[in-house]
Amino acid sequence: MSPRPGFVLEVDRSTPATLMWHGEGFRLEKLPVGTRVVYGPEPIDALKDPDQAIRNALEHPLGDSQPLRTLLFAGMRLTIAFDDISLPLPPMRPPDARQRVIEAVLDLAAEAGVDDVVLIAALALHRRMTDPELRHALGDRVFEAFAPNGLLLQHDAEDPSNLVHLGLTDQGEDVEINRRAAESDLLVYVNINLVPMDGGHKSVATGLASYKSLKHHHNVRTLMNSRSLMDEHHSELRNSNWRMGRLIAASGVKIFQIETTLNTKTFPEQLGFLQKREWEWSVRDRASFLAASSALARTPVGLSRKIFHSVQAPHDITSVQTGEVEAVHRSTLDNIYRQQSVAVSGQTDVLTMGLPYICPYNVNSTMNPILVACLGLGYFFNLYRGKPLVREGGVLIMSHPTPWEFNPVHHPSYIDFFEQVLAETTDMFEIEAKYEESFATDPWYVHLYRTSYAYHGVHPLYMWYWCAHAMAHLGRVIIVGGDRAAVRRMGFSPASTLNDALELAEDVVGRDPTITHLHAPPLLLADVT
Amino acid sequence: MTRRVHGAVEPGSDGFRFVTERPTRPGGVVVPLPKRKLGVDYDTSWARRYPVRLARAMVLDDFSRPVLRVALSPKVIGLEHLDPVQGPMILAANHASHLDTALLVSILPSWLRHRTIVAAAADYFFDRHWKAAFWSFGLGAIPMERSKVNRRSADLATSLIEDGWSLVIFPEGGRTADGWGREFKGGASYLAKRCGVPVIPVHIRGTRPVLAKSSSRFRPGSTEIRLGDPLVLAAGEDARKFAARIEKAVAALADEAESDWWSARRRAAAGTTPPFRGPDVSAWRREWALPESARKDQPPARERASDKPWKRGKSAT
Amino acid sequence: MARHLDEEGVRVKALQFERNMPRFAAARVASALVGSGKGVKIGPLELVELEPFDLPGEGWVRVHPRLAGICGSDLATLDGRSSRYFEPIVSFPFVPGHEVVGDVEGGTLDGKRAVLEPVLGCQARGIDPPCQGCAAGHKGACERIAFGHVRPGLQTGYCRDTGGGWSTGFVAHESQLHEVPTDMSDEAAVMVEPVACAVHAALAAKIAGGERVVVLGAGTLGLCVIAALRALCLPGALVVVAKHPAQRNLARDLGADQVVKPGEHKRAARRLSGSLALESSDGGIERLTGGVDLVIDCVGTSDSLAQCLDIVRPSGRVVLVGMPGVVKLDLAPLWQREIEIRGAYAYGCEERPEGPRSTFEIALQLVRQAHLERLVSARYALENYEDAVAHAASAGRRGAVKIVFDLRKAGSGKDAFGGQEVGGPRVATTTKEAK
Repeated sequence: MSPRPGFVLEVDRSTPATLMWHGEGFRLEKLPVGTRVVYGPEPIDALKDPDQAIRNALEHPLGDSQPLRTLLFAGMRLTIAFDDISLPLPPMRPPDARQRVIEAVLDLAAEAGVDDVVLIAALALHRRMTDPELRHALGDRVFEAFAPNGLLLQHDAEDPSNLVHLGLTDQGEDVEINRRAAESDLLVYVNINLVPMDGGHKSVATGLASYKSLKHHHNVRTLMNSRSLMDEHHSELRNSNWRMGRLIAASGVKIFQIETTLNTKTFPEQLGFLQKREWEWSVRDRASFLAASSALARTPVGLSRKIFHSVQAPHDITSVQTGEVEAVHRSTLDNIYRQQSVAVSGQTDVLTMGLPYICPYNVNSTMNPILVACLGLGYFFNLYRGKPLVREGGVLIMSHPTPWEFNPVHHPSYIDFFEQVLAETTDMFEIEAKYEESFATDPWYVHLYRTSYAYHGVHPLYMWYWCAHAMAHLGRVIIVGGDRAAVRRMGFSPASTLNDALELAEDVVGRDPTITHLHAPPLLLADVT
Repeated sequence: MTRRVHGAVEPGSDGFRFVTERPTRPGGVVVPLPKRKLGVDYDTSWARRYPVRLARAMVLDDFSRPVLRVALSPKVIGLEHLDPVQGPMILAANHASHLDTALLVSILPSWLRHRTIVAAAADYFFDRHWKAAFWSFGLGAIPMERSKVNRRSADLATSLIEDGWSLVIFPEGGRTADGWGREFKGGASYLAKRCGVPVIPVHIRGTRPVLAKSSSRFRPGSTEIRLGDPLVLAAGEDARKFAARIEKAVAALADEAESDWWSARRRAAAGTTPPFRGPDVSAWRREWALPESARKDQPPARERASDKPWKRGKSAT
Repeated sequence: MARHLDEEGVRVKALQFERNMPRFAAARVASALVGSGKGVKIGPLELVELEPFDLPGEGWVRVHPRLAGICGSDLATLDGRSSRYFEPIVSFPFVPGHEVVGDVEGGTLDGKRAVLEPVLGCQARGIDPPCQGCAAGHKGACERIAFGHVRPGLQTGYCRDTGGGWSTGFVAHESQLHEVPTDMSDEAAVMVEPVACAVHAALAAKIAGGERVVVLGAGTLGLCVIAALRALCLPGALVVVAKHPAQRNLARDLGADQVVKPGEHKRAARRLSGSLALESSDGGIERLTGGVDLVIDCVGTSDSLAQCLDIVRPSGRVVLVGMPGVVKLDLAPLWQREIEIRGAYAYGCEERPEGPRSTFEIALQLVRQAHLERLVSARYALENYEDAVAHAASAGRRGAVKIVFDLRKAGSGKDAFGGQEVGGPRVATTTKEAK
């Protein structure tokens, strides 16, 4: 049976309760009659033989590029950069897509007799990956060949001796990237594309860049003018990255881009009901849901967090393309749209969504309130092309426990940002002007970023800026079931139940508002007309 | 009636301390240095006395052998090469894991394994008293210098071999760090020449994934031990050339372990046996070219994770 | 302006603190079990009627209190928590109360209002020549406080012979009285003494200019210290650690750059000073390797002192303003980082760029400048002393700062609030104020 496309359901009296995520848990909510629920397409078919497909793609690149085999020669300097732990979400069942691709690339490199090979995790300002996480992404064979010899590196954006400034774009944006990558004979980038925002020139221009470069597009103005982040034609973030990427190519850095796309098979069979349409749940699904929710209710938070973070998604690779960056990315985007695109007509007054336990920045970690805001307002709100799902001045209702909890190892600067900066002001422009520099240059944060597993000091501010478009667009943001003090600290309104939230919303949008509910994950992209 | 003299030192009241505490030494007295014999000087003869040998045999037969059989599932090929040897012999094997010694000894036939001593690195196994005692007892180990032949240990080994003891020795001098073999040193061939006994080449396959060097992770797996034809020094052959010959023999057994006997024989005849020490290329390519049985981690990475995440136990952090 | 005259024979109503060990112990237990201030009922404090005090000698006058404040040191005494160090320098039974504004009877300030400088130095004790401290004007450093023709007592309010502020009448030496300007309200005047402590502490900190300062505690003393720092010194950045929301708002008003909650002090200090840190096992901050230049402790517990040592930089300074008791402290950080701890007690004479000035004079000016009368949150009659002490003990939690006893009778003159309470929630007072 071929996978069905996504669609918009209009809730009526016969509609069963809808599944809504709530952090490390989920519940069923009866949505008001007339609510539109946006369901994503079912997972499309995967490649039958991914390894063969990869080898094929390496022999038949797209755009102005030669096959990889001919680009490798003995005595060359080869660098292989790969996406870090923020992708895919949840982490994939082994073998990871990066493992398959890198093993195929290294087989060719071994055949060609290339000795000087270095692997770099393209972290930008994210945290370093731990050894088990690297093993998971690359596989044991690659890890054992490179890690003990010091050839498996993690990009260090604060190491001046390992950065090279390539110039300024025509808009005056600094382009400064990893030195080893820039000075190699060939830079192979291995990417996994989960959402349209990833990939293309962004891989190298952001993933291997320094703060000096990033602040030209990771700022409030750029993000406010990215409507949406997922729309290639209207994203100021994408435009900036494209300018930078073209400059990188023009300055002589030879890049062989390899992009893969995954289908949306997000949950293992045991939790399959999370992916199915509620009226199609079988007896087994209903029993699993009941067992899971009652077990979770009795499990302490720490343990349920551990359980959820150990879930591995049975993602399959749906396409592989290699070669010249822009041609490859075009093909990648087509594949993503094929999997995720849903047509939606018109906007509503209210948008509701349940937020899961994981976002790109808390893999194996705690989701603190700032990340909750970023996931809802930064990512999920931006899963559209055309117009946002909710009208201007409308209300966004998110469901997440929003605990006032921070992981001090992964997110040390977040704690200070939340306690000290947000207590003074939540206005993004003010925060950018007054606090960004001290967070970006604080020596302690830099020390933790370079030697421990901490996100860069400026990262929480970026998470806050990510919400810029949404905050400018919406009239109010309400969080259901969240820690009241934490929700208030961020300038949002707390509500205990969905009905209370809808009542609070009525103060802003008037009585009997129209409502859209975003049924994600699994991921989707709404084409709103 | 005892007359007590006042002013004398009376240890009686604190008799315990008087007995247990050493008296202080006056100045001007020369103090001899304490003699502690460790390392190469450690005397292992007590471990070859009959009662100790009996105890060792019992431990080996009733405990070590069954445990190793379960943990390592050894498959032994070539035991028949031992039969024609009359008298003591030297077994020269490749070395990848601490388990090699125990494994090799345990698969030998009883008439041989109870009359075997093992050459163990003096700086590692004999640097503390308790370690020296443990290994002397458990394996019948004798201390041996790693790189050059120490006179004392050479004399000891020679006299023991002449007494009828067989010797297990690892000519590489230590465990392999990267999975490929190291150069065979001259110790085994020197002893073979001096005592006039044959050398049995041995290849042990599969112990590195179980317990590798510099790793404390133990993963039960399956192993194979291949014994080859006995090698005897040709007339006038010097020890170094003989060592190279032994290395070639072990390499041929390794080739046989990875492919099959016939292909290995043909390659040995043609001189195209894959080198024991691995390809002469950069480190990552050497690792890339390792056969699965020599990799540190048990294949494959393609195991499918459980569908029930709560049963998995450990998180990836 | 009506006068209050104790005619001969009219007795003085006062709260008296007796030396009664069993009741002392009971108060201590009660305060430990139930909470500070709750042990008053069973403690040794009693409302009594006394014969008016004799004037101990030349230069002594009678004073009739108008407002008398309750201080943290008074609360510690009532709870039985104060150090036994004080025993030889107080004389039982005594009437507490050293933050007083009252009407003077006799002497040069006869008929005028005055605020009391409670320290009993050489001059008050009739000791001539005065000791080194008193000669220099630093009465707080008097070396003769248990001698002279007044019984031992470091201040009025701890001395048997003088009486104290929590009464309708006591005696004071003229050198202890400072005239209150006619345009200053009683509430402003009663704040002068705590503000003088704060001024002295702020100046004792010897801020050269530009230092990063953290103030722990935002009770009365903490808030006055913030005001003093802003007015008299030039700190580079001023961060205040305050527990309660009302305190936080006031701290910000009075000039704090940043206000944080108690658990956040290490992180705030780290960001302020740009220091690196040593991590604890759970990933949080164990201690800083750098720190801020100056920490002023206005809390006075073992915990607060340990917190000071946590966040001050090597060779930094810690000033203890709040009265501490016996604390258990690991001095290894003090030694290894060459930290200076100094106490700041009372007041005296301050060296200013314009010349030496008495602390009280500076305090009078500061109270006016920063409108510190708004810190008086509630007034109580002497009879309601249990409620008053309980309110003072939980002032922070209840949104109040300074609690005072109101001893004025009807038609008594200047009053800042015209009979209305400001700041604290329900106030129990039985004085009927005329507009």
